[in-house]
This record gives sequence, structure tokens and C-alpha cells, in this order.
Amino acid sequence: MTRLPPPLEALVTALKGLPSIGPRSALRLALYLVQTDAGVAQSLAEAVTLARARVALCDRCGGLTEQQPCFLCSGSRRDSSVVCVVERPTDVLSFERTGAFQGRYHVLGGKLSPLDGIGPEELRIALLEERLVSEGFQEVVLALSGDVEGDATAHYLLKRLGNKGVRITRLAQGLPAGAGLDFVDELTLSRAMEGRREFQ
Amino acid sequence: MHVASLKLRDFRNYARLDVEFSPGCHLLLGNNAQGKTNILEALYLMATLRSFRGVGGSQMIRHEARGYFVGAQVVGQGVSEIKAYWSPRERKLSVNERPVRRLSEYLGILRAVIFCSEDLNLVKGSSQGRRRFLDLILSQTVPGYLVLLLRFAKSLKSRNALLKQVNPPEAELEAFTAELVLAGTAVMEARNLLVPRIAPLVRFAFRRVAGDADDMSVVYQPGFRGDLAVALANARARERLVRTTVVGPHRDDLLIQVNDRSALQYTSEGQKRTLAVALKLAQAEYLSEVHGSPPVLLIDDVMGELDAERRAAFVPLLNQVFRSGGQVFMTCTEENWPRELSQDLIRWTVQEGKLVAR
Ligand SMILES: Nc1ncnc2c1ncn2[C@@H]1O[C@H](COP(=O)(O)OP(=O)(O)OP(=O)(O)O)[C@@H](O)[C@H]1O
Ligand SMILES: [Mg+2]
Ligand SMILES: [Zn+2]
Repeated sequence: MTRLPPPLEALVTALKGLPSIGPRSALRLALYLVQTDAGVAQSLAEAVTLARARVALCDRCGGLTEQQPCFLCSGSRRDSSVVCVVERPTDVLSFERTGAFQGRYHVLGGKLSPLDGIGPEELRIALLEERLVSEGFQEVVLALSGDVEGDATAHYLLKRLGNKGVRITRLAQGLPAGAGLDFVDELTLSRAMEGRREFQ
Repeated sequence: MHVASLKLRDFRNYARLDVEFSPGCHLLLGNNAQGKTNILEALYLMATLRSFRGVGGSQMIRHEARGYFVGAQVVGQGVSEIKAYWSPRERKLSVNERPVRRLSEYLGILRAVIFCSEDLNLVKGSSQGRRRFLDLILSQTVPGYLVLLLRFAKSLKSRNALLKQVNPPEAELEAFTAELVLAGTAVMEARNLLVPRIAPLVRFAFRRVAGDADDMSVVYQPGFRGDLAVALANARARERLVRTTVVGPHRDDLLIQVNDRSALQYTSEGQKRTLAVALKLAQAEYLSEVHGSPPVLLIDDVMGELDAERRAAFVPLLNQVFRSGGQVFMTCTEENWPRELSQDLIRWTVQEGKLVAR
């Protein structure tokens, strides 16, 4: 195969580095971008730069936001007696889509995973403890994935937070083990939230 | 259940193979090193996503090729079109054009039992092979077992990773121990229920193969007695020293005995072979019993290794397969094919990666 012009090659390489984009899709996208209307490429580039500059993780909950703290943390109409603990920022979006939860969120940034060297220090657990004190939550809902690591993380949190005088609940059974919340449809997710129960 | 068609691309010595199979007994004849066993390997791969030769995917790619493709149409309750592509960089598995997300959803589409010379390891080899044997039967018969087994394996690995740390963190250890206990206890319960169910089948199969003289038994031998949580707690001091999980179902075994003595120590080579065949016959019969129809039987050269008298032990199972519209694939060379089974055989010649009906 003849070599691509170096700037195009660089674009392909950059795209290939993105999640779920293989070499072929990367090439297809790159070829499209260099051949389409210049405005398309221009506005894509601007959108990427702007989004990257403006969107950050909320200092408080760890969700995606443009302001500090995010509107979910600052919104006064939300139930500030309960906090829902999730693994990733996108999980917040999943719950928000269902409308089944009106409280605050806390994103851990992952789950305990000894095989990947992820322990409690790598997660936002100490921050959660601080929030329990400063915001006075009465209930912590653990909404973690149902695989071994998610369940072990829930178990760990129960032990660590259990003596702090808060109620700890878990989503009702029904979240498929191994899958993140992305694969769960809205109905299942809101049922799981509504049927949450005491975790011992 | 039968495999209606098989398609190979760059698999072992097959550059390209497209073949259709009817139900019944297929005899794959050919000289050595022509690709007979490779066909069985491909069929077994469709059933279990593993090679029965215990090798990884890259060894099955034809020399110089980038990846292999194995496809099959399986006729069971319905018709399933399986497609599997494997290369070091990319794996694809689909059933009826839908990608398979979970292994547990896949197993069961094609049930197969292999009889091969590696089976001898069931008797002679380490306990790992015997645990795999039990686990495969359980995955083929108990919905949800595989999920459980994978959960156990994951919690064991995670727990061992924690124990390897300079100062194993107690709280995390406790969290993963809880998962290990849950999954591990369920795994042991399943194995404990299975063994007494297959034991009489193994015993009768052994009698049929070996003649009446000897008595064989199999007994589930858990790696410890009592409650897993308690056993783990008691083993903590030892774990601190060896830095790995020392009790649990990963230490289970299946004790094989002949006339109440350990088969490993007190049997001849020929008897060990017979024991291995009996275990596999029992597996096939148990699957037939549970599912109401026999699995696809893959018999690699085993007939050649047994004399005509001992071969006769297969006849009831083969008859059952014929009656129920099942399927058998049997490989052999011209010298050692079991002529006494000569009616109703569908014969193929295998030569240099080609399959020709005779
Ligand atoms: N990855 C591979 N690429 C190409 N050829 C391969 C590969 N792996 C094995 N082979 C070839 O496949 C042949 C062996 O096939 P197979 O084991 O099916 O033989 P067989 O017909 O069962 O012989 P036997 O009667 O000795 O058991 C050998 O010629 C070997 O070189
Ligand atoms: Mg062979
Ligand atoms: Zn926030």
C-alpha cells in the first residue's frame, strides 16, 4: 500500500487511539474528514476543543459538568438526604434518564480491582466519607455493577461506611452480572432503584 | 442434535473446507497427518470454544495465515448458524448473525463429547483435568453454572493478587473473600450433587468396557471439610506465608478407584485407558439423560486403541445415537477401523486437508 500523506496518517493514528474505533473505522473517518466540506472538519475540531476545555469532573460528585459544582449537586429541588453511589460518570446519566432518582450522586471512578491494581485509594471513597459528614446524608444507595468486583466494592463500602450512622441500601436484584449500567434499559433501572433494599 | 455443515478457513491444515454432514455415524479415514483429528478439533471448538488438545488459538491458525474461521450450522431445538473468527488481534463469535456477549449464553448450542488419547490424563494427570471434566459436564447441564464458575475464578484471582501484596489489605481481602465464599460454596455444592449422579454411569460403562471382573468407583473429594468461610479463616496464617489462597474448590479432586484402591497407583496402563473411556462414556450418557438426546460424539482413534471386545462397550451408545437421529464422528486409519461397526457408516477420505465422500 502506498503511504498516506503524513498529516492524514497522523489523523488516522489519533482516531485509532479512541475507544471502540478500530484501524478500518479510523481510516474511513479520516478519509471522510479530509474530503468533506472544510466546515465539517472545522466545526468538529472546534467542538472537540471546546468540550475538552469546558467539561470537567464535578469536584463534589465526580460527574461531568461545566460548572463547579454541577447542577445535580447544587440543585435545591433535589433530595439531599440520599446519595446514589455509582462507578462512572456515565452511570449518572443512565439514572437521570430514568427519572427514578431525585437525590444526589457520588461517582467512585471505578471499582476495587486487585488485578488492575485498583484499591480504595484509587477511588473517590475518602471524598464520599467527607460528604457524608458535610452533607449529612441519611441513606447511601449502592448502584454498582453486579460482577465480582462490583459486589466486592459494595461489600467493602458497607464495612467502611456501615458504622457511620447512615442507612445503606442496594439496588434490587436484576442488574445483569458483569454488565455495566450502560446495557440496562431504563425500565429495569428504575425498577431496581425503586425496589432498593437494606444491605447487610 | 447434529452438525449439518462445517466451514473452515485457514484452520490447521485446511485452507478452505465446505462440507455438509447428515445425522448418523461418520467415519473419517485417512493416513497419518492428513487432518482427521483437525476436523474433530474444529467441531469440539464450536461446542466448547476450546481446543481439546489444550492449545491456544494461535496454534490453530494455518501456517502463514492471519486468523482462522470456523463456521457451523447446528440443528438442535432450532437451527443455529455459528461463526467464529480468531486472530491474535481480533475475536468474533456470532450465532445467527448476532454477536455473542456472554460465554454462558453460547454453551449448549452444540453439545459434544470427545474421546481422545488425551483422556488418559483424566486418570494419570493432575486434579485440574478432573475438575475441568466435572465443570464441563456441569456447564453442559446446569444453567448458570458457568457464570458461577467464572465468578469463582475471578474472585480467586483477585484474592490471590491481594495476598501477593507486601501488606495484604485486610478490608479488601475480606470483601473479595466474601465473593469467593459465595461462588465457591455454590461450585462445590454443584460438584457434590453431580458426582453421585454420574458414578453409577461410570461404573456400568467400566464394566461394559472392561468385562465383569473389576469394580470402578468415582468419589467427589473436596479439598477441605466443612464451611468454606471457616476454612479460609483458619488458613489465614498459612496464607500469609505462601501468599495464595490455600483452601477452596480449586483444590477439589475426583477420586477414581478400582476395587477400592486408587486408580492412579494400582492400575495398569491398559486399565487406565479403559477408565478414561468409561468416564467419557458416562459423560455422554449423562448428557443424553439430562437433555433427552445424545450429544455429538467425537471419537479420535480410540477405537483403534481398544480391542474389538472392549469396543463393543460403545455399541449401546452408538445405537442410541442412531435411534435418536444424533451424530458421531470417528477417525481412524485404514488398518484399524472398526469393521464390525460397518453398517450404516458414512465414509470420508481425508487427504492433505481435503475431505472426500467415498
Ligand atoms: N497450524 C497449522 N497450520 C498448518 N498445518 C497444520 C497446523 N497444525 C497442524 N497442521 C498439520 O495438520 C496435520 C495433522 O493433522 P491431524 O492431527 O488432523 O492428523 P491426523 O489425520 O489426525 O493424523 P493421525 O492419524 O496421525 O492422528 C499435520 O500435517 C500438521 O502438519
Ligand atoms: Mg489424529
Ligand atoms: Zn456534582
